[in-house]
Amino acid sequence: MIKLENVTKVFKGDVVALRDASIDIGKGEFVFLVGPSGSGKSTFIRLINRENVTDHGRIFVAGKDISTLTSWKVPYLRRNIGYIFQDFKLLPKKTVSENVAFALEVIGKPRRVIQRQVPAILELVGLSHKINRFPSELSGGEQQRVSIARAFVNRPLILLADEPTGNLDPTTSVDIMRLLERINDTGTTVVMATHDSGIVNSMRQRVVELSRGMIIRDQARGVYQ
Amino acid sequence: MLSYRYTLRETFQNLWRNILLAVATVITVGVSLAMFGGFALFQVAVDSATQRWEEDIEFVIWLDSEADITALDNIKKQLNESPGVASYNFVDQQEAFIEFQELFADSPEVIGTVEQNAMPASFRVVPKDPNVDVIKELGEQFRTQPGVRTVVFASEAIRDIQNLADRAGRVLFLGSAILLAASTLLILNTLAIAISNRRQEIEIMRVVGATKWFIRLPFMLEGLIQGMLGACAAIASNVLLKTYIIEQFSETDALKLLAGFKVGDAALMRTNLMVFVIAGAVSAIGSGFAVTMYLER
Repeated sequence: MIKLENVTKVFKGDVVALRDASIDIGKGEFVFLVGPSGSGKSTFIRLINRENVTDHGRIFVAGKDISTLTSWKVPYLRRNIGYIFQDFKLLPKKTVSENVAFALEVIGKPRRVIQRQVPAILELVGLSHKINRFPSELSGGEQQRVSIARAFVNRPLILLADEPTGNLDPTTSVDIMRLLERINDTGTTVVMATHDSGIVNSMRQRVVELSRGMIIRDQARGVYQ
Repeated sequence: MLSYRYTLRETFQNLWRNILLAVATVITVGVSLAMFGGFALFQVAVDSATQRWEEDIEFVIWLDSEADITALDNIKKQLNESPGVASYNFVDQQEAFIEFQELFADSPEVIGTVEQNAMPASFRVVPKDPNVDVIKELGEQFRTQPGVRTVVFASEAIRDIQNLADRAGRVLFLGSAILLAASTLLILNTLAIAISNRRQEIEIMRVVGATKWFIRLPFMLEGLIQGMLGACAAIASNVLLKTYIIEQFSETDALKLLAGFKVGDAALMRTNLMVFVIAGAVSAIGSGFAVTMYLER
């Protein structure tokens, strides 16, 4: 589903964010990206989403080489990739259901599709009773659920999550991880960058460790260390 | 696929959120285009009032409609031999009639009342010396010639009007050009603010895969609407200018010189069309720069 071939990404001032990274992530896998701040986790995620472009090497998403993708095709790539932020990034003036519907509206989905899919996804994340609330009226965990609903409402092939539990307390984090696991069970590939050793150790999924831009460990059913 | 409902809703929400700035932009666009329209209509009016005095013609020898060939030849001969005459131009009845038709193109009822052979032929004379007294003396020589009905001088006043019109035209034109540049910047600024107000939405839109045009379109439409509202204001001002100011001149006897001030409906349409085109250009440039400067990364 995601394949990196000798990918190098250098930022301004010769900061090497990713060095000669190669990895193959299959369909339906759940992968943790671990490593200290500045090790290249976020760059890894942003390259898959084509927010950044590689300097060397190639990246394949669903069999397509995205390093050579023309800029007008990038939006269509992103429709297959859900993205979850650490700080949720919900729109404060929109209700829960409007926030989720927004993701469908702006890619031109017809109204009847939106009216069908939004309640369904909100039920999946357990927020059916709060569809008309505003983000400011929700707890952190609930806000992250809305953010996950927004990322998953279009049923993407891949879900990218950059520290999704970074702003949440441990109990809430566990709930969020259960939700991501359920989404993963539907066949969606999940790639999650995290600092949370407790979560990684309890889930025993594939762990990819980065250090100074290099992949130094790739372990099935791994731990944080 | 574009969702029209979404695009229109966003466009009007943007306008409403920024209503004060939007109004300021519309007013500036309107005032600058009204100035431009005023300039264009004023030019048309002056042209129609001073048409036969263009190109340094200083007096016109109007002939009797019954003037015969001999009289005509005599006048020609005298003009050719006169050392004070730089050049002259003979306008026969047919040409005079065409000129008359053009002048009253918008009033077919006036044209219908006049026949070609009722139009007087004339010599339009350019003297060598621009001095008023010399011109007066030169022109008077023809007044008593057989076949001449009258001699009409381009009075100082007409020259003054032409001068004034030129200068006023330049001021209006320059003023409207400066204001149009300001309007372009104002549209750019309004959109920059609208874009920055929606930073978060735009970020989400990019992440979930909205296309570039989908993101751009509401902002560009916002700019276009501001420009077009300004154009509508300017067109209203043009119509008022024609109906209540310029046409008042042509009816007042007291201001004989301004009696020829006339703006036809066709000229008004042309001016309004120009105003629309300029408004379109101003908003396209302003919003084009705004989206490339603030939306592209």
